[in-house]
Amino acid sequence: MTYDVIIDGRPARLSFEGTSFRYEHGEGQSLQHDFSIEPAGEGRFAVLADARSYEVVLLSSGEIWVNGRVFRVEVFDPRGLRAREQGAESQGRRKILAPMPGRVIRVLVELDQEVEAGQGLIVVEAMKMQNEMKSPRAGRVVEVKTAPGAAVSAGEVLVILE
Amino acid sequence: MFGKVLVANRGEIAVRIIRALREAGIASVAVFSDADRASLAVQMADEAAHLGPAAALESYLRIDKIINAARRHGAEAIHPGYGFLSENAEFADACQAAGIVFIGPPAGAIRRMGSKTEARKLAIGAGAPVVPGTESSVSDLDEARNVADRLGYPVLLKAAAGGGGKGMRRVDGEADLGAAIRDASSEAGRAFGNDEVYLEKLVLEPRHIEIQVLGDQHGHLIHLGERECSLQRRHQKVMEECPSPVMAEFSELRPRMGEAALKIARAAEYSNAGTLEFLVDRDRNFYFLEMNTRLQVEHPVTELATGIDLVQWQLRIAAGERLTIAQEDVSWSGCAIECRMYAEDPENQYVPSPGRITRLQEPSGPGIRLDSGVYEGWVVPMEYDPLLAKLAVWASSREGAVARMRRALQEYKIGGIRTNRAFFSEVLDDELFRAGQLSTAFLEQFFERRKERAADPEAEAVAALVAALALRKPADVSEARGSSEWLRSGREAELR
Repeated sequence: MTYDVIIDGRPARLSFEGTSFRYEHGEGQSLQHDFSIEPAGEGRFAVLADARSYEVVLLSSGEIWVNGRVFRVEVFDPRGLRAREQGAESQGRRKILAPMPGRVIRVLVELDQEVEAGQGLIVVEAMKMQNEMKSPRAGRVVEVKTAPGAAVSAGEVLVILE
Repeated sequence: MFGKVLVANRGEIAVRIIRALREAGIASVAVFSDADRASLAVQMADEAAHLGPAAALESYLRIDKIINAARRHGAEAIHPGYGFLSENAEFADACQAAGIVFIGPPAGAIRRMGSKTEARKLAIGAGAPVVPGTESSVSDLDEARNVADRLGYPVLLKAAAGGGGKGMRRVDGEADLGAAIRDASSEAGRAFGNDEVYLEKLVLEPRHIEIQVLGDQHGHLIHLGERECSLQRRHQKVMEECPSPVMAEFSELRPRMGEAALKIARAAEYSNAGTLEFLVDRDRNFYFLEMNTRLQVEHPVTELATGIDLVQWQLRIAAGERLTIAQEDVSWSGCAIECRMYAEDPENQYVPSPGRITRLQEPSGPGIRLDSGVYEGWVVPMEYDPLLAKLAVWASSREGAVARMRRALQEYKIGGIRTNRAFFSEVLDDELFRAGQLSTAFLEQFFERRKERAADPEAEAVAALVAALALRKPADVSEARGSSEWLRSGREAELR
C-alpha cells in the first residue's frame, strides 16, 4: 500500500511493509521504521517509531502536530495526485483574493488601470489592522469586484488582473 | 472593599480581572457583544450583561450601555482593563457621575496624560528627558514640512490620542510626508475618534523600556521597575521581559528611569497602576515617550518578577486603601518572559487569522503562567484585536526562562487558526536574542537573517504516517498491516 503525500508543499511517498513503514522524501532519501500507533483520545495518537516516541495531534483539516512541530499534510493515491497537477495549469488572469474576513476600506485602483508589481490594490481591515493588498505582478486591472465599505469573506475575489 | 465589580472588557484581560475578583471574594459582572456571548470571560463571571452588536462602537465603547449594565447589576465599581474605554476620561467622569468607582487613575490624570503632546509638556516640566519633536499636533502639510526639516529625517508620525501603534508612520523623506499624514490621520480617526497626529524625531534602533508605577490615593507612589518591550511588529509589542537584559550591565539605569517615571507620575497627580514608556538609545540615554494610564497587557512579567499582584492592588487602591509597599520593599527576582499569542500569520505580513479554534491544548508545569481568553471550539471574532493568550514563564535566570519558554511553546497546540507560536520558538533560538541585544528594529532584522528551519524528516515521516492512516477512506484500511488497535483508530480519526 503506497501513498503519495504533499507535506509542507513538498512531495513524498509513504509505504507500508509488514509492521514497518517506509518514507521516501527529498531526492532519493528514505527512512524506515517499525512502528505502532495507539489512540490517545479523539484526534490524538501515541506513536512509536522503533524506540522513539511521538505525540501526534490532529489540529485541523490537514494540519498535524508532531512533538511541537506542525506539518501540513495532504494524502493522495498516485492517480489523484496526477489529476491535481494537471488541474493546476496557470492562466493569464490572476485573481486577488481576500486573505481574511474583513471590511474593504479603500480601493486604490480603477478598471483598466495598469499596475506595477508591488503596487497597492485594495485596503482591507480586520481586527483593527489595515492590510494593503499588493499586486503580485505587473498587469492591467480587468475587474474590480468590491467597493469601499463592503464586508468580504476569506478567499473572496476582490480584483482580477490580466 | 467592593462587593461586586463590572469588567468592561473582553478576551484574556477580562478573564484575568475576573480571576482577581474571585480571589478577592468579589462578585464579577462580565459584559459582552453579540460575538462574545459564549466567551470564556462570560462563562467564568458570576453575572453577565449584553451590550449590543459585535462592532466595538456599538458595544465595548458604549459608555451609556456599560454604566446602565453596572447599575442594573448593582456593581459598585468598573474595571476597564486595557484598550476600549480604559483611557477615556469621559468614561471615568461618567462612572463618577453615576456613583460608580472607576478602577484606575483619576479622570484628571487620564486627561493630562491622554494627549501625548500634553504628556510631553508635563514631562518636560517635571524635568524628565523627552524625544525631540512637536509639542502640539501638526495641522497642515507646510507646518509638518518645516517641523520635519528642523528635526531631520527620519521622523515618526504619531496619533495624539493613540496607542498600540495605530496611526503611527515612519517617514524617511519629504516626498512621503503628505501621504503618511493622510494615512496616519485616517487610521487614528478610525481607532480613537481623534485624527490629530504629531511629529517626533525617530531614535534609530532604540530599546523600548517601560516603567510600572503604582500609587494610592493618599500620595504614596512607587515604581515596580521596568519591562523590556523592544520586540514589536507594526509598533505592537509581541514579547516582553523583566528585567530588561540591559540592566544586567547597567544596573544604575533602573533607579534612574524609575525616578524619572515617578517625577512624571507625581506631576500628573497619578494614582492606581500606570506605565511610563521610554526609548533607550545605544548610549543608554532614555527619553520619555508616553504614559499608559491603565493596566498594561504585559503586566504579568512584572508580577512574576516582583511577586506583586497589580490587579489586586488596583482594586484595593480604588477602594481607598493605602498601598502598604514601600519603594525599598520592592525587589526583583529571576527573569520573566511573556509571549503574546496572536491569531495572525507571521509568514504573511502578520495577516489576522480569525476563525474557529479546532484544537487547543495549553502548556503547563513548573514556572508557567498562561493568561488565555480562548478555548477549544471558540470562534475568534474578526472584530477585535487578535490577542488570544499571553504565555508567561518565570525562571531564576534569563537563560532558564528562555529554555522554559521554548519548552512551553513546544507543548502548546493550537489548531484551526494561524498563530505566531512557531515563530516565537525561532526567535528564542536566535543568538542576538539570547545575548539580550534587543531593539525595536529586532524583529524586522530577524526576518532578514532568519534561516530556514532545519528539516526534521523523522517527525515529518510520522506526520505522513498518521495522515495516511487518518485521512484515507475506510475501504483502504484492510490493505494496511499492523495491530488492529491502530487500524481502528485510523478509521475513527476523521480529521475535522
